[in-house]
Amino acid sequence: MGCKQFEEMISDYIDGALETGEQAVIERHLADCESCRALRDDLLQLVHFSRHLPEHTPSSTVWTAIQTQVKSERRVGLRQRVARWLARLEERNFILSLPQLAAGAVALILVALVVSVVLRREAQQSAETASTPASAAISKNLLSYPDLQQIEERISQLESSVEQRKASWTPDLRQAFERNLAYVNQSLIECRQQISGHPEDKVSEELMLNAYREKVRLLEGFEAF
Amino acid sequence: MASLTTRLIMTVTAEPGYNATDIELARAAALGDAAAFEKLYQQHHRRVYSLCLRMLGNSSQAEDLAQEVFLQVFRKIGSFRGDSAFTTWLHRLTVNQVLMHFRKRGVKLEHTSEEGDFTNVVDTPLQSTRRISLVDRMTLEKAISQLPPGYRTVFVLHDVEGYEHEEVGSILGISIGTSKSQLHKARMRLRELILKKNE
Repeated sequence: MGCKQFEEMISDYIDGALETGEQAVIERHLADCESCRALRDDLLQLVHFSRHLPEHTPSSTVWTAIQTQVKSERRVGLRQRVARWLARLEERNFILSLPQLAAGAVALILVALVVSVVLRREAQQSAETASTPASAAISKNLLSYPDLQQIEERISQLESSVEQRKASWTPDLRQAFERNLAYVNQSLIECRQQISGHPEDKVSEELMLNAYREKVRLLEGFEAF
Repeated sequence: MASLTTRLIMTVTAEPGYNATDIELARAAALGDAAAFEKLYQQHHRRVYSLCLRMLGNSSQAEDLAQEVFLQVFRKIGSFRGDSAFTTWLHRLTVNQVLMHFRKRGVKLEHTSEEGDFTNVVDTPLQSTRRISLVDRMTLEKAISQLPPGYRTVFVLHDVEGYEHEEVGSILGISIGTSKSQLHKARMRLRELILKKNE
């Protein structure tokens, strides 16, 4: 084997991709050729160091730019969701009972309130580029609110009770319940999202508690059917 | 019971001192949890940026691309099902973004104008008697950035990131033979660049 042939096989050799016979030929050549030993040693070092290169840190402007864009896309997404929901509402003819109408109206008001607060908050803070430290944001434990645990327990009881009653409901009643529940749950998601991004947002905290209470009222209303 | 699941995930990731897994964070982020998304960024931005930097060889472009990668994460996180590790999903997303960047700029990865254009081993000064290391990390990083894009991409995917030739071929749409050949040429070119620097 000559040096030229060795050079063509060196990568496969250091990657351990050669047959036993080829490997033996290479090793015989290496024993006699200082130049090729140098090449092998250099490439082994190069491959070893390449596997252990340190990580680099981008400048803080990257996160700032991501945050700004994410906020903007969330705002647009929220508007689109509300617009789609309103469009669906317009297309439908509803024949609802009084409790269904009342629950629907309350849910609608709640959604409108949450949407307006979220949009106002985001508009106020669109110029704000500093990041909220993740540790501060995620340190907010939703279960730490004073009466939230009680509400959670009540919701859990009501959900089991309503679940048992569902079997006797008409399809229309079931549909009305699911629709109203979806509205309230969506409100809760939006509130949590807002609180998660702005842990000190007292308005959203209050809205979230109201949404929980509204969920209790909704479940209580439908428990009677 | 979707709302209860939502509440559970978001409560778990918000617990002080709780180290949420990538999958928990990804699910919370998909449900709109901004803190979970930020935590994912904090945990993975160095790896994403480093990969972009090594594949592009330019810090400014690498920052732009790292930014685009995380925006894609934000937009697509709902499609992450947890079938693979989050790091694998993110890594593939990053590589795809870099390749898309190359395509937009008309960079061809399979062929370079400099193929085969390096010194033959027999003409290279002897190195085996060196007592100092051929490679220091700074020099290696610089040399990688000087490789032609085709060599650099295969080298970074195989030797830095640890992909097999089959995977490199599949990602780049080239044959295994081409991947091996590009890698060999990249290594030889790197050696030449580093030796030149050390002279």
